[in-house]
This record gives sequence, structure tokens and C-alpha cells, in this order.
Amino acid sequence: MTVNRKWTDGMLSTEDWWAVWLGLLMFFAGLFTIWGVDLVGWMTKTKTWEITNLLADFSWGKLVAPAGKAYKEMHPFVSLLTTYVVFTALVCVGAYFQRLNVKRFFWGFTVIFFITWSVWIIGHEAHFKALKTTQSVMQSEIYGSDVYCTSKVNTCSKEINKALKGLGVNTAAGQQPDAETAAKAVDEAKHAVRLSWGLQLGGGFSYMLALAVGLLIGNLFRGLAGFLREAAKPEWFIKTAIVYLGIKLGLMSMKATGFAVELALAGAAATFVAYLFFWPIVYTLGRKVFKLRRDASAVLSSGISICGVSAAIATAGAIRARPVLPIAVSMLIVVFAMFELVVLPTLYSTVAPDQPIVNGAAMGMTVKTDGADAAAGAILDELMVANHYRKTGVQWEPDWILSAAVLTKIWIDVFIGVWAFLLALIWVYKVERKPGQEHVGPSEIWFRFPKFVLGYFIAWFTYVGIAVWFPEAIKAASAGANIVQSPMRGMMFMLTFVAIGVITDFGKLKGMGRLAVLYAIALFAIIAPIAYVVAYIFHRGMMPPILTG
Amino acid sequence: MKADIEFTLVHDGRRWVVRNETFEAQGEQFETLDADLKRALLESGRFSRGERITIFMGYDFDTIPTWLRQYHTHYFNRCVTVDL
Repeated sequence: MTVNRKWTDGMLSTEDWWAVWLGLLMFFAGLFTIWGVDLVGWMTKTKTWEITNLLADFSWGKLVAPAGKAYKEMHPFVSLLTTYVVFTALVCVGAYFQRLNVKRFFWGFTVIFFITWSVWIIGHEAHFKALKTTQSVMQSEIYGSDVYCTSKVNTCSKEINKALKGLGVNTAAGQQPDAETAAKAVDEAKHAVRLSWGLQLGGGFSYMLALAVGLLIGNLFRGLAGFLREAAKPEWFIKTAIVYLGIKLGLMSMKATGFAVELALAGAAATFVAYLFFWPIVYTLGRKVFKLRRDASAVLSSGISICGVSAAIATAGAIRARPVLPIAVSMLIVVFAMFELVVLPTLYSTVAPDQPIVNGAAMGMTVKTDGADAAAGAILDELMVANHYRKTGVQWEPDWILSAAVLTKIWIDVFIGVWAFLLALIWVYKVERKPGQEHVGPSEIWFRFPKFVLGYFIAWFTYVGIAVWFPEAIKAASAGANIVQSPMRGMMFMLTFVAIGVITDFGKLKGMGRLAVLYAIALFAIIAPIAYVVAYIFHRGMMPPILTG
Repeated sequence: MKADIEFTLVHDGRRWVVRNETFEAQGEQFETLDADLKRALLESGRFSRGERITIFMGYDFDTIPTWLRQYHTHYFNRCVTVDL
């Protein structure tokens, strides 16, 4: 039995709080690099590899590596096993306190973990992932158009320039090599590789592959999906990843504080304005056109307008609807979120390639469920950064587009508690006023408040605080922070993609009738266009910083 | 708000049901539920007729399907003041 009575209820038994605990545990562990102790460096990070090179001479070190310098002697496979043991132990403890079936969870998570890492490693094959060097994009007549980077583009480009300097060509002084010298420099650069073809999809390919594998399991291998379902917790994984993203935003804020604050404020304002349009329009459409009952219309309006499943349950609770109503609406939301996740990143990056932040913010207001939104934001980020680089040779700093998508979604999540409280007041005291005196307590706001947001802001503001009050500690703090916010966050995102696919069963749309039609119309004809216009009004002109150095 | 008596609340697909170690009451609507609860409380002899009491009914979130619980953790609680 689980009843929320005290403000501390659920701290050990809900995945929302467990996202905070897992997030903050690694966050605090990462901070220890300030004192020279690396508690997180065992974490595995992926490496970009090339198939012929791997087959010629296989080694785990070409695929993965420990993320921390203090662990550079650790065998890459041991690092991967350590990552598995640590995270499996942590999530199983969480599963125990959430009263899940720990044995089933353990085996399910183990399978999901290794599927995730297999897909992630495959997604890092150079033909899929690697971007061309700056030289290959901007001066292909000298360097050739087939030079790709197996590390960050700037690192690789710098390696080529350094090699050129050794060959007597100082590009910083404006000198240009001939084709032969350029070819030598490319050969000398450690992370440059010539490929006959390349998709240049960046990290986005891994995400799309993970999603495809998850969906295949969820819809074609239902027996396996049933086995994995106990451990397929995309919301838990993504909320933990969002806490880690708070660290990233903290690090980014150190370099661009004004932009981060502007992004947060614009997201809050846009969300508030969007609310004023979404809910009344969808509610009226449900009542007047689709002749839905008042409670069904309210639950559906919140689900589609606000934050998906969470809003549907919160609203149904607020208006005291029978639980079957939010359950049915939630099935719709989860399935439609998958359509949004698949369609919108490609659509936005194709239609508006020069509006990265607007696209990210619009994504946050359109895609329901935190998992699908952050996942769509991550794909959008990878696609837009890679596309822009391919076209211009200029690389936007990664993760700002994702941050725009997550920030708008977080404001929506935060607001749902207040909205549900207001709705409860209206419903109990006005719409269905009864002779009995029912009271609606403000504790309902707290019970509905998304707790993972606390972890996100703690992580964000801690790193901003370090930058402001202990600037000398930034470099040491970044060492640990970068491991938590990059490979750990990346892994939680990848787990989310696989898990969200596993739990999405398109067959659930059968028999949904009017609700499904209303949902589709409202989402694609009302919510998405309005969200885009509102995002444009509040975020137009905002661009991610350009990656330098 | 401090309650005189506390219950868990569930919906069995047709009716709202409240129960604790001692009492159980049910109703398709909240009015009928509250009326049935009043009857049960009076019959117990623990409360006297005309007495005003505050009742807390906390929704048992375990009755929400497991796959849904990861999205949200609270349905609603009712706090009702009734004259017996």
C-alpha cells in the first residue's frame, strides 16, 4: 500500500526520488576531483572506431576506454564490467526500495545494459558517426573531401595544423600547404582517418539505432519485451540523466552564464504562454466537437497540452476521475510520444536548420513524457550540430539545443503541480460542489512536484557556485564533472532509448477510437504549431555558442 | 489538517472503496461513498450522532499499474469534514 501522507513519503519508494539519489550520488562522487580523488574515472566511454582497422587488429581499447586519467591503466573491458557492476548494483538497490521484483529487474537490466552498450559501440563506427575535419569541409581541394575525425573535430583539426607546422607550414600565419604536404599532415594526425563514405550523423546515429532496436523488441519480440519490462524504466533513466545534465548546464554556464539564464527565463515565459493556449483549445475541442465527458476532456487536455502521462494522472486525481481514465489516456500519450520522437527531430532540423534554440524549445513544449522529450532533444542536438557543421564548417557547442528542449519541459513539469492544485480547487469547490465539506490541501502541490528537478538545479547551481566563489577549483572540478555529464549521461540516454522502445507497443492504439483521433488532431494541428510559434517568439535570435579551441 | 480517522481509498473498477483495519465503505459516487461511510462509523459506536469529524482518505497508488508509476507518484487524497 502506498499513500502519500507526509512530505517525506516516497523518498525511498519512487523512481522520481531515485533519479535524485542516483543523480546526486554520482554528482557528489564527481566533485571529489577537486581534492585530487577520482571516484568516477572507472566509467567507460565510447570511442569512434573504423571497421577495417578493427578487423585487422582487434582490441577492446579501440572501442571503449576508462573515462578518467587516473584509470588509464585499467583494461577497457574491465572498465566496462565495472560500469555494469556499479550501475546494476545501484539500480537494483533502487528497484528493491521501489518494491519491484529485484530478480526480474536484475536480469532485465543486465540484458538492456548489454544491448545498450552493443548498440552504442556499433553507433560509434566511423562511417556512421565521424564528422569530416574542418580542413576537409572548408578546403577539400587541398586536403580531399574524405578526411574524417575519430575524436572531436577541433582536436583533430588542431592535430593536422600541428603536423603541418612540423612540415614547415604555419596555417596560423595564413600559409597554405600543397596537396602532398596536406596528405602527409593528415597521415600524421592521430585522430584523422580517410573514409570512402560517411554518413556524418554524430552521436545521433547511436540514439536512433537504440530506439529502433527497442521498438523492434517491443513490437516484434513481445515475449522478450515482457521479460525486460520490469527493468525498462525510461522515465527513471532519463530523469537521472537530466540530473547529470544539470552538471553540464553548470559547466556551460561557467562559459556563458548570460545565455544560460536567458535560455531558462525564455523557456519559463514560453511555457507559461503556451499553457494559456493549449489547454482551453483542446478542452473545448474535446467537449464541443468530440462530445467527450467533462472529466475525459480535462484529462486528455492536460495530457496532450502539458506534460503527458504525469499531467493526465495529476489532472485525473485533481478532478477525482476514475483511475481507468488516466490509464487509457496514458497509453495514448506513450505511443504518440514515440511518433513525435521519430518525426520531429528530422522535421525541425530540415525545415528550420538555422533556428537551433527555437527548435529545441519547441520540442520541449510539444513532446510529451520526459523520456521522449529529452531523447528527441538529444537527437535534434546531434543532427543540427552535425548538419550545420557539414554546411558551414562552423561547429555549435553541443548540448545547448538539448538544454533548450529539457528546460522548457522542466518548467512544464514544475507547473503541473500548481495547475493540478488549481484544477482541484475549481473542481471540488465549484464544478462538483457537494454538500460534504471536502478540503484540498496545498500538500497536493508538493506530492505532484517532480523531485528530479531538485537534483537538476542542485547540480546546475553548485557548478555555477564553484565558478563564482572558487574559480581556482574549476579545472579540477571539471575533470570529475565531465565524466558524470558525458559518458554517464550518455549511457543513461542510451538506456532510455532502448527502454522507451521496449515499452512502446503500437498495438495499444487499437480500440482507442475518438480519443486517439482527438489526440492526433490536437497534437499535430494545434499543439505543435502553437508551440513552434511561441518558441519562436521567445527564443528567436538565440544561437548556441560556437565551439572554439 | 489533522484527521479524526484515516482510510485508504481505491477504485475497484465500479465503486470507490475506503477501508482501514476496522471499517470498509463503498459507493459509485463520492456522495454515496460518504453516506455509506457515515453509516459504518455510526454503527461502530465509536462516534456519536451529530458529532463533526474529519476523515482522511489517501489513494493507494499501488493500484495504479506498475508501468505507469514511473511517470507520476500521486493520485489524490481526500480530506472531508462530515456531520454524523
